[in-house]
Amino acid sequence: MTDGSSTADGASTEAPSAGRSRPGGRVSSGFGRYLFKHVGGAAVSLLLVLFSSFFIFRLIAGDPIDQLTRERPVSPEERAAMRAELGLDQPMWQQFWDYITGTLTMDLGESFQYRRPIFDLIVERLPATLILSGTGMVLAVVLGFWIGTRAGWKQGTRFDKGHVATGLLLYSAPTFWLGMIIILVFARYLGLFPVNGMRSPSTPPDFWSQAADIGYHLVLPVLTYTAVVYAGYLMIMRSSLLDEIGSDYLTTARAKGLRDDEVRRKHAVPNALLPTVTLVFLALGGVVNGSIVTETVFSWPGLGSLFVQSIFYPDRPVLQALFVLFSSSTILAVLGAEILYWFIDPRIRRSG
Amino acid sequence: MNPHALMRRCLSAAAALLLSAGALAVAAPSAAAQENDTDSLLIATDQEVDTFNPFKRRFVITYNTSLMTYETLVRMGADYEPEPGLATEWEESEDGLTWTFTIREGVEWSDGEPLTAQDVAYTYGLLIENQAIRDWNIDFAGNLVSAEAPDDTTFVLTLAQPSPWDVLTREVFVVPEHVWSTYPDPSADDANQLPLVGSGPFQVTEYETGEFITLEANEGYWDGAPGFDEVVFDYYEESDAAVAALEAGEVDIVSGLNPAQIGALEGQDGITVNNAQGRRYVSLTINYNSVTKDGTEFGDGHPALKDPIVRQAMHMAIDKQELVDTVLDGNGQPATSIIPEIFEQYHWDGGDAVLDFDIEAANALLDEAGYVRGDDGIRTMPGTGEPLSFRFYQHADSTDYATIAQFVSEWWAELGLEITPEAIEQGTLNDLAYLGEFDIAFSGWGVGPNPTEQLGMHTCAVLPTLTDGTERSSENNYCNAEFDALHEQQKVESDPEARAELVREQQRLMYEDTPVIYLYYQNVLEAYNSDKITGMTMQPSEGGMITGQQGYAWAYVTAQPADAEDEGGTPMWVWIAVAAAVVVVAAGAIVFVLQRRKTADERE
Repeated sequence: MTDGSSTADGASTEAPSAGRSRPGGRVSSGFGRYLFKHVGGAAVSLLLVLFSSFFIFRLIAGDPIDQLTRERPVSPEERAAMRAELGLDQPMWQQFWDYITGTLTMDLGESFQYRRPIFDLIVERLPATLILSGTGMVLAVVLGFWIGTRAGWKQGTRFDKGHVATGLLLYSAPTFWLGMIIILVFARYLGLFPVNGMRSPSTPPDFWSQAADIGYHLVLPVLTYTAVVYAGYLMIMRSSLLDEIGSDYLTTARAKGLRDDEVRRKHAVPNALLPTVTLVFLALGGVVNGSIVTETVFSWPGLGSLFVQSIFYPDRPVLQALFVLFSSSTILAVLGAEILYWFIDPRIRRSG
Repeated sequence: MNPHALMRRCLSAAAALLLSAGALAVAAPSAAAQENDTDSLLIATDQEVDTFNPFKRRFVITYNTSLMTYETLVRMGADYEPEPGLATEWEESEDGLTWTFTIREGVEWSDGEPLTAQDVAYTYGLLIENQAIRDWNIDFAGNLVSAEAPDDTTFVLTLAQPSPWDVLTREVFVVPEHVWSTYPDPSADDANQLPLVGSGPFQVTEYETGEFITLEANEGYWDGAPGFDEVVFDYYEESDAAVAALEAGEVDIVSGLNPAQIGALEGQDGITVNNAQGRRYVSLTINYNSVTKDGTEFGDGHPALKDPIVRQAMHMAIDKQELVDTVLDGNGQPATSIIPEIFEQYHWDGGDAVLDFDIEAANALLDEAGYVRGDDGIRTMPGTGEPLSFRFYQHADSTDYATIAQFVSEWWAELGLEITPEAIEQGTLNDLAYLGEFDIAFSGWGVGPNPTEQLGMHTCAVLPTLTDGTERSSENNYCNAEFDALHEQQKVESDPEARAELVREQQRLMYEDTPVIYLYYQNVLEAYNSDKITGMTMQPSEGGMITGQQGYAWAYVTAQPADAEDEGGTPMWVWIAVAAAVVVVAAGAIVFVLQRRKTADERE
């Protein structure tokens, strides 16, 4: 334990030093400096994530061996053999060093529960997550923006009120509960869709059969996922549009004789889009994280359900790797948004 | 744009979609029937595969796949009696050190090669010579001296110490030498590659993490080909989803249910609920003897707990039947000892020695022993005057334990004990328990058919040698020389009845010493699709369980497909519905765009 805290101090002194090196580089052009600043910030965040991931999951108490030997009496020799195999007999600094060097070289170690390389596990499960949250995210963004724009434009109408109410109701519904209700209605009682999983074991292995089967299994999870998150985009789009709605340039556009539709599409929406860019980029980062709850309810074999299983286990190496993966995808997505801002928002260019 | 018009359009498009989907759904069953002529037995599971290596598996799921893929020399019968498996007969030498098995003739591996005594000798040889495999199985392998096959049907095993029950009940899964000898490291977790080659009724052929494990029937199985063509373990992370899948006919066997789920399933057409005696006990461990082998005390258990009178009084103040009724909804039995009722040959039911629930008598016991009540009603220890104030730890993830803790705390409060219940996360609780830093804590184990395993966790021999709580071999640091003597005797007693007598005597001793209070034995709650499956052999055969069988997969091997329609694969209507949806959406979009164009001018 003392080992652990001394290394923890080591980590926290090291991280700012990485930040301190920032001003050292001298970059002349405005964009260069802007880019450097944000890339540097992202790098510091990544390092902090990398270091903290090691310690966060060591806070989960308990001996991993207890899980491996559940319901079975074991001798101390067996215990020792397991410790050695999982690398738990190594001193803390050695484990830390292995973790850092391993993560940087994409050798993420072995999972306690699966006894397989974590890298393989992630590669195996990533497509499932991308399919589910990718589809859900696109639907949610399109739906949210589409309804949000119209609701904002016609603020106070029944269309507006109805959609805001429905959206918020679904937004506040617990995903778990909503998923169960959807399962009960569409799978259990109507029998239209499968309850669970990504495909059935009896589906022929050829591409088209597999694709159709996955599409068939995808409907309910995507429905759940989209229903829960689309309201977020709806509300942001709606309020951004409301900010613009009284602006003089819109009056000017109308005065030019443009149709209402065109005023909205060509003038109001582009200006209202700015705040939502961040949201979309965050969403892109979130595609990797998947939807932990939706995946769990539907036993969708993605990274989210892997994360949940690993927490219950607790499968420390997997948690570490996923935490780093999830955080870095978000960090990189935000970085992407910041870089994009430079091009789409003139104010940033001016303030340099 | 007029919002009402938009709403109407959206609604009519949605209605069109639903109508077409609905119409197709009606037509679905007829289209689905043609697809599939494989009889699959689908079992819901939520546990991941650690390794298919039968020497190293740790999880219940891989125990089950090993049990079906491979076989043992001696099989565990449906009523937990040893019966011939790969060995047709066996003989123990006079000194108990040499065992001679006759290996069944005509058995083939699933790849068609013959199984001989050489394969058996190779398998036991791995336990003796492969260091890693030996370490993993040291409690059994440490006692093995040699494994030889003088001819194709004879296998001779030599032991260091007599140990008949370990030899008969220890599951050593016999592996094919012609396959395993080609593996670079037979002890590796990924040693054996799919499809597995075994001699059992089903072999693992396919595994997708988090999705399914498929086992194909061994058509040439020496004991007759199984009724189903394949067994599939299908992943359901949520048990409510698994129940819905059972109701929808997507999965055939669901286990680990709670009383509410059982209640909802009971009486449904085509679903049979199996409420069977279980192998699991729930108990309260009392920290009365945190001491190492050489006598060093550790931890901070309350000194009053060292007094057996206090422990017995606490035991008497628990109404176990009430706990079964309220916590388990009646699905269990009050417990007396470490061996559950399901193993009736070994279970000790207490007879006249059972302490009945009697708070008054318990109070009298404490009064007599000099634990007087203070002004606040809390008893104090004679001499030191320390109040009887105990920490009571429960696992935070169990609502059952929370209810029990509430009941028991109230009963104990009536004894004049001050109880502080606390819910603690499982890992932390284990750490504290093995460090001896608690007073009373919950525990529970699933018990196997060989009582030596559980009893062995209560001998002086497994007391810790260190005080850091890392060894974790002793369940509660129980140490009683008389108990140990009985334990050594029962381990070598070949006569089943004489052995059972010794085992019962061990349980009686533990009941008197009360290091642990056994609360109840929990039933196994499971349900299956009885329209699809018939003829499953339960374990035990009368009123026994389906999942959680030991020593042989009786239920899955004996299950026969009843004639009911098959469902599986992607129904034909999905293809049609997808096409229809695309058409509807495309048409809707075109109409929408056209309308917009047309009315745009009018709207201004």
